[in-house]
Amino acid sequence: MSPQPFAFPREFFFPPFFTRQTNLTTHHAQLIKWSSLILSYCRHHRIYKLSLSLSPSSSSTPDQSSPDAAQPQPGADELFHNPRIDKRLSLADIKETIDFMRKDGRAEYVAPGGAGGDVVWIYWRSPEEWAGLIEEWVDGTGQKGTVLTLYELTEGDATRGAEFHGLDPDLLQKALGILVKRGKAQIFGQEDSQGVKFF
Amino acid sequence: MFLKQIDLTTALRPSYLTDEVLLFVQDNVGLYEGKYKLPNQQNGQVYLTSHRICYVDKAEPRKQSVALDLKDVERYEFYAGFLKSSAKVTLIPKPSKRSSLQSRSPGLGSAPSRNGTASPLQRADSPLRAPPVDQPPASTATWVCTICTFSNPVPSNFDPATANVHTPLPPCLACGIKPTLTHVLKAAISNATSRAPNSLTPSLQTPLPHRSRPVSELSGLVSEPSTPVGTPPPQSADPDASFQCPRCTFLNHPSLMVCEMCGAQLISHDVPPELRQIQDRTESPGPFLNPAVASLASNPDTPESVKISFRGGGEKIFYERLKGAMAQRKWLLQGAPPIPKSLRLGDSTSSLSSGGEQGITGGRPPTERVKTAGIAGLEQRGLDRRKNNEIVIGTAFEDLEALMASAKEIVALAESFARQGNGGKNSARDNALLAESAAQLGLITTKDIVGGADESLYLSELARNLAEFLTDDARGVLRKAGGIMSLVDLWAMFNRARGGVELVSPQDFEKAVRLWEKLKLPVRLRTFKSGVMVVQSRDRTDDTTIKALLGWLQDLHSFPPDRDVPWDWQEFGRGVTAQDAAERFGWSIGVAEEELEMAEERGVLCREEGIEGLKFWENFIDTGEGKSYKTKEQESAESMLRALRQAGFV
Repeated sequence: MSPQPFAFPREFFFPPFFTRQTNLTTHHAQLIKWSSLILSYCRHHRIYKLSLSLSPSSSSTPDQSSPDAAQPQPGADELFHNPRIDKRLSLADIKETIDFMRKDGRAEYVAPGGAGGDVVWIYWRSPEEWAGLIEEWVDGTGQKGTVLTLYELTEGDATRGAEFHGLDPDLLQKALGILVKRGKAQIFGQEDSQGVKFF
Repeated sequence: MFLKQIDLTTALRPSYLTDEVLLFVQDNVGLYEGKYKLPNQQNGQVYLTSHRICYVDKAEPRKQSVALDLKDVERYEFYAGFLKSSAKVTLIPKPSKRSSLQSRSPGLGSAPSRNGTASPLQRADSPLRAPPVDQPPASTATWVCTICTFSNPVPSNFDPATANVHTPLPPCLACGIKPTLTHVLKAAISNATSRAPNSLTPSLQTPLPHRSRPVSELSGLVSEPSTPVGTPPPQSADPDASFQCPRCTFLNHPSLMVCEMCGAQLISHDVPPELRQIQDRTESPGPFLNPAVASLASNPDTPESVKISFRGGGEKIFYERLKGAMAQRKWLLQGAPPIPKSLRLGDSTSSLSSGGEQGITGGRPPTERVKTAGIAGLEQRGLDRRKNNEIVIGTAFEDLEALMASAKEIVALAESFARQGNGGKNSARDNALLAESAAQLGLITTKDIVGGADESLYLSELARNLAEFLTDDARGVLRKAGGIMSLVDLWAMFNRARGGVELVSPQDFEKAVRLWEKLKLPVRLRTFKSGVMVVQSRDRTDDTTIKALLGWLQDLHSFPPDRDVPWDWQEFGRGVTAQDAAERFGWSIGVAEEELEMAEERGVLCREEGIEGLKFWENFIDTGEGKSYKTKEQESAESMLRALRQAGFV
């Protein structure tokens, strides 16, 4: 993971930022700021799946460690809770923000039911964008027609410099699925050792 | 100049002089100078006060409002109106040159030495006063057509003094041939000379029951200076006798309106008002004053009379109150010696009372007073003063006349009693309010002061009254409340300031307050979205409130908060509660809440809900990115459009 801590924007230290605004335009601006904060935070920490329920469960033990002494585990707890000004975005407001991001195609519930689950995909790159990146990489390295395993694609030495190195396997499946639909790739093999062939 | 420009209050009412009392208000009036309308003063309100008659124009109150002092009025007359001509009150100024003889008229000179019980109404119609000269002109004047010999009436607006070649003349009613100017002029002048003697012969008019006016009956005792010599027509003293036609001298039956022989009008102008139906008009057929003609006609030796035309009624009450005001002559009170003391008391008490009188008026004690020293002297003085107060109150309430005459002293006394009576018990502010209420008495608008059939005039006057009450700098009602106060508070305070008399009902109050917008007064009513109604001055809009709020929040960036705060106060400032805002601006908490929410609604503030309650902050959330932000669909649509444009499809 990234060694340096995430630099929060200045709104993060503005107490009203954690209260749902009643004015519609202000509320809209608030949602935009929150979603861009979530996206850049997840991009920084390369988080693909975010568990929302983490924040209330860990709320009982936040203060045993002083916020400056030990860097908290990256995730929803650090993202939605500012211990310096002792403010926390409520779960309802988080869900509202996620809904706002879903409309924009920047988030998706992992559970197929939708609103029921509390783990969400955060698409700081959407599956389409991932698919494009992979295709570009395949083009650039001249691997059209070759067969690659999925593990090779995300964890292999060949992709170490590429952006999708370390991509979540489920997200990779989604991205490859898009390529398959376009007729640019074909997936075969069993569950644990799948391979993909690019055309 | 007889008419003077006047100052208006913020609420567009005349600003009153000291001791001036409002007597009557009537709207929909116009002004005439001489026989001509003043073109800029044709629709306004007339305020009759104890000292002045003020005209406040409706369209351009600041420019066109004028007043005339009652003390400059020589005489005043009442004209009941006839057909399309509205009722008028004519005010004739004192001549400026012949002041030595004329202004020292017996009625005026006798004012200080009058005895206290004389009725003012009697004095008003005193036969010593000069009788009216100005009969409505030319309604009986005729000119005979040279072509067909038909006798035409001279138009009522035809004035021989000002007529020239360009004066429009109506053609003959029978044959349509226009007369020459000299012809009509001759007819008008000859009529004027023959009409004048009529006023000297009251017995001639007595057979006609409705014709005579009390003033003209009394006028017979003194011959008018301006009356030309004329031979009085033969007359019969017998009331049953027939009435002589002024034109052909035929003796008509008294009940006839028109001469049996020649068709001349027998009854012209003195038709009692009951016979006419009152109609509201704003347009009047009279001619307007032409400035060029006016300068020609107006003679400095004979100042023009001023007429007030009542197009919306109310002339009778105005006339009655004017009569009263002219009789009381309040303008003499200023600087006048105190009222003569009653002599019914014995010699010892009269000397006592004179000493006490000085005690009230603040003068030095009389010389003949017995000199006493020490505690006995102090006691004696206290005794004197109490005795005198007793006398003043006793004489004042003896009858209404005396009360009016000594009103000034009684008010002063009442104020001093109020100060002594509840000193220390109530708060200082209440005391001040009570003391003010006595001074306030003269300024209130009551329903009986205001003329007019419906209550709209009363309401508009009340609205002006309220606006004055609010914006009065001395009282500072609105300023003390932070420039904004709820309607209920204002209602309570206003009624208390009226001192418990002529209270305003909540319905009238609300209606009056709603008129502010229409009357363009400097205060306005505002309804918050919660339904709370508040009043504030007109210049305080939402924008100025927001500016004030923002300025305050900006200040909080530079002043450190009372205790340590976790956030960067230099960057964000501090959140404020409604309580803070109420303290800072002097608002009530309800008003502060509404104002903060209004500012939030405008997107200037944002809220923070915490354990400490609702706080409002400067809006650092919506800093303008929202506008440039685009959703993905918009972006793709735009890129599509761009591509199409590049390809030349669009």
